[in-house]
Amino acid sequence: MTASRPLAAYAAELARLDAGELPYLTQIDVRVDPSTAAALGFPRRPNTTSDWRDRDVLWLGPDEWLVVAAAGTPADLVEELESELGSGHRSVVDVSANRAAFELRGPDRRHRLATGCPLDLHPRSWAPGDCAQTVFGAAQVLLHERADATRVFVRPSFAGYVIGLLGSPA
Amino acid sequence: MSAGSEEPNAFVAVLEPWTDVIVPATTVPIVDGLVAEPRPGVARLADGSEKGGARRRHHHVETLVVGAGPAGRAAASEAASRGDRVLLVDERHVIEDAPTGDELTVLPNATGLGVYDAGYVVLHERSHAPPERVWHIRARRVVLATGALERPIAFAGNDLPGVMLAGSAATYVARFGVAPGERAAVFATNERGLGAANVLAAAGIDVVRTIDARTGERVVAAQGYGALERIVVRDTGGGEDEVDVDLLAVCGGWNPNLTLWRAIGGGLTYDTARACFVPDGGPSWLSVAGSAAGEVAESEPLWFVEEGEDTEKFVDLQRDQTVADVAATLGRGLRSVEHVKRATYIGTAVDQGRTSGVLTAEIVNHLLGEGAGAQGPSGARPPYVPVSFATLAGPFARDLFDPVRTTPINAWHLDHGAVFEDVGQWRRPRYFAPGGEPMEDSVERECLAVRNAVGAMDASTLGKIEVVGPDAPAFLDRMYTNRMSNLPVGGIRYGLMLGLDGMVWDDGVAMRLAEDRYYVTTTSSGAAAVLERFEEWLQTEWPDLRVYCTSVTEQWAVVAVNGPRARDVLSAAGTDVDLSRESFPFMSFRDGSLAGVPARLARVSFSGELAFEVHVSAWHGLAAWEAVLAAGGPFGLAPYGLEAMDVLRAEMGFFIVGQETDGTVTPFDLGMDWIVNLSKGDFIGRRSLRRTDLVRADRKQLVGLLPEDPSALLPEGAQLVLEDTGRIPMPMSGHVTSSYRSPGLDRTFALGLLAGGRGMHGRTVYAPVPEGTIAAQVTVPVFHDPEGARRDG
Repeated sequence: MTASRPLAAYAAELARLDAGELPYLTQIDVRVDPSTAAALGFPRRPNTTSDWRDRDVLWLGPDEWLVVAAAGTPADLVEELESELGSGHRSVVDVSANRAAFELRGPDRRHRLATGCPLDLHPRSWAPGDCAQTVFGAAQVLLHERADATRVFVRPSFAGYVIGLLGSPA
Repeated sequence: MSAGSEEPNAFVAVLEPWTDVIVPATTVPIVDGLVAEPRPGVARLADGSEKGGARRRHHHVETLVVGAGPAGRAAASEAASRGDRVLLVDERHVIEDAPTGDELTVLPNATGLGVYDAGYVVLHERSHAPPERVWHIRARRVVLATGALERPIAFAGNDLPGVMLAGSAATYVARFGVAPGERAAVFATNERGLGAANVLAAAGIDVVRTIDARTGERVVAAQGYGALERIVVRDTGGGEDEVDVDLLAVCGGWNPNLTLWRAIGGGLTYDTARACFVPDGGPSWLSVAGSAAGEVAESEPLWFVEEGEDTEKFVDLQRDQTVADVAATLGRGLRSVEHVKRATYIGTAVDQGRTSGVLTAEIVNHLLGEGAGAQGPSGARPPYVPVSFATLAGPFARDLFDPVRTTPINAWHLDHGAVFEDVGQWRRPRYFAPGGEPMEDSVERECLAVRNAVGAMDASTLGKIEVVGPDAPAFLDRMYTNRMSNLPVGGIRYGLMLGLDGMVWDDGVAMRLAEDRYYVTTTSSGAAAVLERFEEWLQTEWPDLRVYCTSVTEQWAVVAVNGPRARDVLSAAGTDVDLSRESFPFMSFRDGSLAGVPARLARVSFSGELAFEVHVSAWHGLAAWEAVLAAGGPFGLAPYGLEAMDVLRAEMGFFIVGQETDGTVTPFDLGMDWIVNLSKGDFIGRRSLRRTDLVRADRKQLVGLLPEDPSALLPEGAQLVLEDTGRIPMPMSGHVTSSYRSPGLDRTFALGLLAGGRGMHGRTVYAPVPEGTIAAQVTVPVFHDPEGARRDG
């Protein structure tokens, strides 16, 4: 039995937007007290990311992070995180399929996102390494700015809406 | 009358090359191919003519300057030199001498529609190339350099074409190279207004007379047939003479343009020397510069001319209201300009009283014998200029009006004749009609498959939350009416959540994954609200509880396999889970695999049949669905939709939140006393359940209804009465909540809420409907397998 790329139906639209799906990223939601997370090197500053053993750690809230790794075996990363975080009160949940991801490229991507995203995405206040849980129109999205692209994480059920709105003239 | 968006007279519809239903002609740039036609001040949006495709942009700056006159340009330059990101906008098509800078953007054709709290400003960039766009600006500072608007003077005949504002007449000459007349006079209360005479004369217009109101001269009448032909002037000595002109340029002083300022709560104070209202107070992030701040010419206070018929002295040219109308309103005892506005409609037309507001206030002040400035103009509200809803909606129309959420299995549904139904934002199959069969046939086929063989439904939309932590058991005991803390690992329990008022709020099941970990499901449309409620109570009421909640709604796709052959289907699909009744009983789950992928199999049933829910990663949702369908083929499996699910659950008397309940229904009303554990400790809604009104014996209670005519279908929502007298009004004792044709029972049946219904089984009630009255017998709300033998099978 095979897996289905969550955004397979939107491949052509994504291509037109100079965007591409990042299928099957491993995504693990971690909730733990901030000092335990800081000891591991998870970001403490809101809406920033850090590198943890070659994985991206995105700050989602004062006690919540999303660890994003290349496509692989989510269960292994869950195990690794659980062992690193110790036996105290923490929650490690595999949410790899809970959000689809695509990468939006092109220098005009800021304006295209500005159609529906109320955040200030100007380079002065939004730089590579930043992340934010925000909205795009009426859909929740998680943005992660990288060197020459913006990663957009979206619940798969909202993908058609988000990609449609991204395609509307900016 | 004017040369800007304050125009009260000249309205047009633009037909080509863009469309506008009604706009001031004075704001329409002349372009190649322009087609426009006059509108009398009222226009109708033709069906299908609404503009689509307005763009939308969020934009952030440190400084936003509205108005690109000298003061606005200076403010923009200064902000840019500080290093601010600056947006300088102006409603005119061209911004002369615009400043430049790396982070300075100049936007012509853009009108500030409204200024809101904390520097949020909405702008409309109008519909010329490039296409129109609505800007949502967040600015740290906002500078209003919106200039000043020239004020007319009310005198007899001032509505004749040819009477116009002096500054506007000068603008037509100086900026557009258009002569608004050949023989002109200028009537003004101030030096600057009189100066228009020089501009007109320099362009070759014959300026035959200037009337300086400061000396006591007045224009007492404008006359002509259809257009201005002559004016009657009273000189300082009281003598009158007639002057032939086709243009009268009028300036009654200058009103700082403070519409946007006032709409956000900025105040006004009267400036006697300038005879106008200037800004006062206002929020700290908002400032006013230039003429808008009161830097206007000193002026004689002259609002209307005493001589002549008051009925011919127009105050609001768009609403055709005169000095006489204002006076009549005061004669009826009104005193406030706000009341005068509402009685006369002055200021309520498309131009929003831009030229009539201060004039009206001062005429009121004068007629009431109060000093100038005693009352200011009536209030201002956004939008500054009319803007269509289609423009404001921008891209959020049609397909993008609201998100349409689909499941990972949606592609299959589309390919297999699904007829969809919107459930909240979700689009779900209502039934499957691959051959285009009618709904009744599809639903019958799907129901019978589940009752007699097996069916599969896409239940991926179920809300799902992982609740983790040492206090998770105690927390869930407080959220649900029953106990979740004593659920064994591997077990499943149905749970009900109430509002603080004791009313049924949401339901779902909890699966205990580990001592400190639960996986709970919610209704499809309640997922976000349930997670929000969990977080709210954890964060605000019980921060001592060590519990983390994580939404996993879309992590999991769910295939519900229901029917006596369900076990055979999963077995055929291939699983390492022992499916036998003994080792995998009803209301338990097992983690394992199905058809080669990791799967959580759960024995829960919403149909009353033997049933399994297959939870797999959303990535595997489609494959799991297809594997179940392929394996089920030999057993007669049918995919089924919401309609069949509804019939099947109603046959079991299972309620649906929002269908049987409406926020006024308690668990007791549903006959679910068994799920309310009043001895386990507190839970949300518990105290309310003890209110006397909630334990009345005659509350509306869930009942089954069997129409006496087994083919009669009770309409959902129909009222139930106890006697078929036909006399109106009659006491309404209940209503129908769900009603279907049951293929299994081969008859119609319904669920309803009926006052004291549990004590009325066997009685007949009546539903008066337009076609007559349907009589129905009250029954226990279970129509199929009341012992649960099939479910446990």
